Amino acid sequence: MIRLEGLTRRFNGRTAVDGLTFRVREGEIFGLLGPNGAGKTTTVRMLCCLIRPSEGRAFVGGYEVGREAMKIREIVGLLPESPGLYGELSAYRNLDFYARLYGVPKQRREENIERFLKMMDLWDRRNDPVGSFSKGMQQKIAIARSMVHDPKVLFLDEPTAALAPDSAKVVRDFILELKHEKRTIFICTHNLYEAERICDRVAIINTKLITLGSPSQLQREFGSGKTEVQIKNLGSRILHAVKKVKGVLKVEVSGNKLLIQSKDPETVNPRVVEAIVKNGGKILYVTRGAHGLEEAYLKLVGKNEV
Amino acid sequence: MRFDRVWEIAKKDMASVRRHRYVLYGLVVMPLIFAIVVPMITILPFLSAEVAGDNLPPFAPPGFSVKQATILAMVSLLSLIFMFIPAFVPSVIASYTFVGEKINKQLEPLLATPTTDSELLLGKALGAFLPAVGVTFASFTGMVILVDLLTLPIFGYPVLPDLLSLVILFVYCPLIAILSVSVSVFISSKVNDVRAATQLSGVSVLPVLGFYFLFLGGLLKLDWVELALFAALLVLIDAGLFYLSKMTFQREEILTKWK
Ligand SMILES: Nc1ncnc2c1ncn2[C@@H]1O[C@H](COP(=O)(O)OP(=O)(O)OP(=O)(O)O)[C@@H](O)[C@H]1O
Ligand SMILES: [Mg+2]
Repeated sequence: MIRLEGLTRRFNGRTAVDGLTFRVREGEIFGLLGPNGAGKTTTVRMLCCLIRPSEGRAFVGGYEVGREAMKIREIVGLLPESPGLYGELSAYRNLDFYARLYGVPKQRREENIERFLKMMDLWDRRNDPVGSFSKGMQQKIAIARSMVHDPKVLFLDEPTAALAPDSAKVVRDFILELKHEKRTIFICTHNLYEAERICDRVAIINTKLITLGSPSQLQREFGSGKTEVQIKNLGSRILHAVKKVKGVLKVEVSGNKLLIQSKDPETVNPRVVEAIVKNGGKILYVTRGAHGLEEAYLKLVGKNEV
Repeated sequence: MRFDRVWEIAKKDMASVRRHRYVLYGLVVMPLIFAIVVPMITILPFLSAEVAGDNLPPFAPPGFSVKQATILAMVSLLSLIFMFIPAFVPSVIASYTFVGEKINKQLEPLLATPTTDSELLLGKALGAFLPAVGVTFASFTGMVILVDLLTLPIFGYPVLPDLLSLVILFVYCPLIAILSVSVSVFISSKVNDVRAATQLSGVSVLPVLGFYFLFLGGLLKLDWVELALFAALLVLIDAGLFYLSKMTFQREEILTKWK
């Protein structure tokens, strides 16, 4: 659905995006991760035909960026970094204006606006000027705006950055619902927890592409594979048994928790659990030790720092 | 060019700009001053007093009594200064709809829509042009009625509208409004402050000022030829400036080069 071939952008001699090459499949939720200034926004802007690539090519929905810009603009929706709503106009008018620019027929326009405003829990405030809304409410309106024309491809630049946890959840659920409608969603985010939860695949970039894969794949490859087990009656017998499990590399104890490092948690962990239970341990929780994707991310980005 | 899109953009700009204080000043206060206050202070003093023949302004028309000639000269001046409204008002509006939207990052989602650069530019230009021309017409009508009421006892017929005022209203004012919008678009790409943009767009009054002072100095007779020449000059300037603003308003440059 989206294809980048050596996509590059320079600003006054400095390279912001360097030779990105990857594909995003139809119906996929794709996350673009990277530190501040990594070129995420620049990449999205190029894909939406807002700025020209310096080099390389890209295709969105089969249309080439630059040459078939108008076709691309018709099928994509964009949530930019800042919402950029018209503060003097009502929420409804803001969405209506955009729906008209996209040429959405009247009935569809009204249905969509109502649906999205209700979904974002802002239907009651539809006639209030957007300028009077909180930052998070504005963000929700802007997300609704990116959707009013039923785009096939949706670019969301940090969709939940300004949102309270409950609103962020609304937005995440909304994104997952859109996935069921077979839309392709491209998300820039700093929120690794979110990326892990909703993205099918993520790319980590820092000007250049560092790595790409599904969140669990990246965790397996680049995470340290630590697992935390909390046990009600942790004793030396249990500790001893865990240390002897095949594949366990290292065990740390803190309070009634064990932090277990292993090469391949998905095969080792069931054995660890078995060993604990066999030795009379009452397991309270088994969780990922360090935050999986975050660990992989920090490791990769740190290593590639220039 | 899809005119429904152009019209949507113009409508939206007109709706969103209405609440700004400066714009309100341009759309309400200034026209009222031009329609009522200025005619009063220019015409009233000559209605009752005896006018001496030796200080007749150089641009007074021949073939009238001294008093009538003086009043007619004043009426011409009144018509001329109406050109300041279309020079000023569009630049105030355009400063908000271009610079203001640039600062508030409202252009990015707009540029992402499937509208062409020309549709966007024309829509936004119309959004500044129409209110300016509308307000000029309204204010002009007010002025015409007031002047005719005041001068009817002296002339016995309505002195306005005359040829000059009609040319000003229907030819010069729209051309000057186009000039003002184009200048504003160009300035918007260079400036990051709404007020600074409004002030810089003040250069739009230069042709008006030039014309005005040439007339005051008695260098213009305002016959057909001169009126047509000035119109042609405005058309030329407009064509040049509109081309410049079209060159400035290039979608893929706006987010990167408009500082
Ligand atoms: N219009 C511009 N002119 C000059 N340099 C720019 C411009 N836009 C972006 N850059 C530069 O390009 C680089 C990448 O910026 P970009 O906004 O794409 O990063 P990002 O990954 O979105 O960062 P963040 O996470 O902070 O949003 C930065 O070094 C930035 O300074
Ligand atoms: Mg960014």
